[in-house]
Amino acid sequence: MHIPPLGAETLFYIAGIPITNTIINVWLAILIFLVLGIFISRNAKLRPGRLQNAAEYFLEILLGYFDQVTGDRKRTLRFLPLVGSVFFFILLSNWLGLLPGTGSITYNHEFLLRPANTDLNLTVAMALVAVLSSHLFGLFTVGIFTHLNKFIQIGTFVKSLTKGPVAIFTAIVEMGVGLIEIVSEMAKVLSLSLRLFGNIFAGEVLMTVMASLVGLLVPAPFMLLELLVGIIQAAVFTMLTLVYLTVLTEEPHGEEAH
Amino acid sequence: MPNTNIETHTVVETENTDQGVLASLGLNGQLFTFQLINFAVVAVIIWFLILKPLTKKLAEREKMIDESIENSKKVQENLTKAERDYQKKIDDAKAAAGQILDNAAADGKKTGEQLKVQARKEIENLVDQAKRNIQIEEKEMVVKLKSETASLIVAALEKILEEKVDEKKDKQLIESAIKKLTP
Repeated sequence: MHIPPLGAETLFYIAGIPITNTIINVWLAILIFLVLGIFISRNAKLRPGRLQNAAEYFLEILLGYFDQVTGDRKRTLRFLPLVGSVFFFILLSNWLGLLPGTGSITYNHEFLLRPANTDLNLTVAMALVAVLSSHLFGLFTVGIFTHLNKFIQIGTFVKSLTKGPVAIFTAIVEMGVGLIEIVSEMAKVLSLSLRLFGNIFAGEVLMTVMASLVGLLVPAPFMLLELLVGIIQAAVFTMLTLVYLTVLTEEPHGEEAH
Repeated sequence: MPNTNIETHTVVETENTDQGVLASLGLNGQLFTFQLINFAVVAVIIWFLILKPLTKKLAEREKMIDESIENSKKVQENLTKAERDYQKKIDDAKAAAGQILDNAAADGKKTGEQLKVQARKEIENLVDQAKRNIQIEEKEMVVKLKSETASLIVAALEKILEEKVDEKKDKQLIESAIKKLTP
């Protein structure tokens, strides 16, 4: 039984860059999206064909869920390039891990295919992009000082100096809360990346164990479960990203009168 | 063989632990950068080749539907207005037709009255003319009768008297006889 290690296995090197089996999976996803994308973009019409119709159907459902978080279709469409890409990429990568060949075809004594999200490098990269993007959106939407004041509340402290000792005390507490907010921003990256990595990696280990124990039929229910986990994890990552984007692009609820 | 694999991974993981927690989790600066680039490529492909064309078409379709609904509302309004105008014109035409019929009836009645008066006048004229003609004829007949009577009387007298009176006496006799005949 070959239990996958935490880190992705290097298959070969291109110009000194290690190419891991998760990267092969990402390339496969890129290829699928590229073919699908070229087909859709070339055939996109006002009167849609079957593929466009199906794609629009799923997109409309997704936009409906996104609207529930953002509360506004305009904002949803503003965040769509990031959250839409994240959702579809995570979903396809997770489901590609269920393809026959994953965990069975070997190259250089290592498995050729491994679900992309069982590589912490990728999940951290996506989480970092999500959190940094939420800050960039926040900066451009509410302004630099308003955005920074959510974390380093010097402005609130300066204003409180003229309002008496209680206001100064509250401002000091708020500054402390701001520092905690900074820590929580780092925690966002950790929680997003580790949650996705943990769930998909655990699924891959489970599948490997089940397939090793009984190769026929028994893994099928677990594969169905992994289909569900794949879409749930994609939705969780995307919705959390959307929540971060929405929260950081909202104006603070007015400064308290001290 | 499986034992060899487990041993290999154990060795690798031991090495990774030596390198730190991040390395044991498979985190690697080079791989991280590579995966970041991969994700950027995926995001660009998904957005520019899939999501953007689809959202564009959705927006275009939504706009088209909105415009169609707006246009259909305008068409409906125009139709209602046209129906109102049509009904108004029909009502006006009906009123005008009624007026024309009333006028025609009044004109007909008036013309009828005029024709009646004219006919009565013409009849009266004809009657007068006939009466005048009758009077003239009556006078002519009286004159003729007088003349015929005179000749008859002369002839009768000549016969009775069997005498030939002269022209002067004859004329006197005739005139006296006529005078007696004149009413």
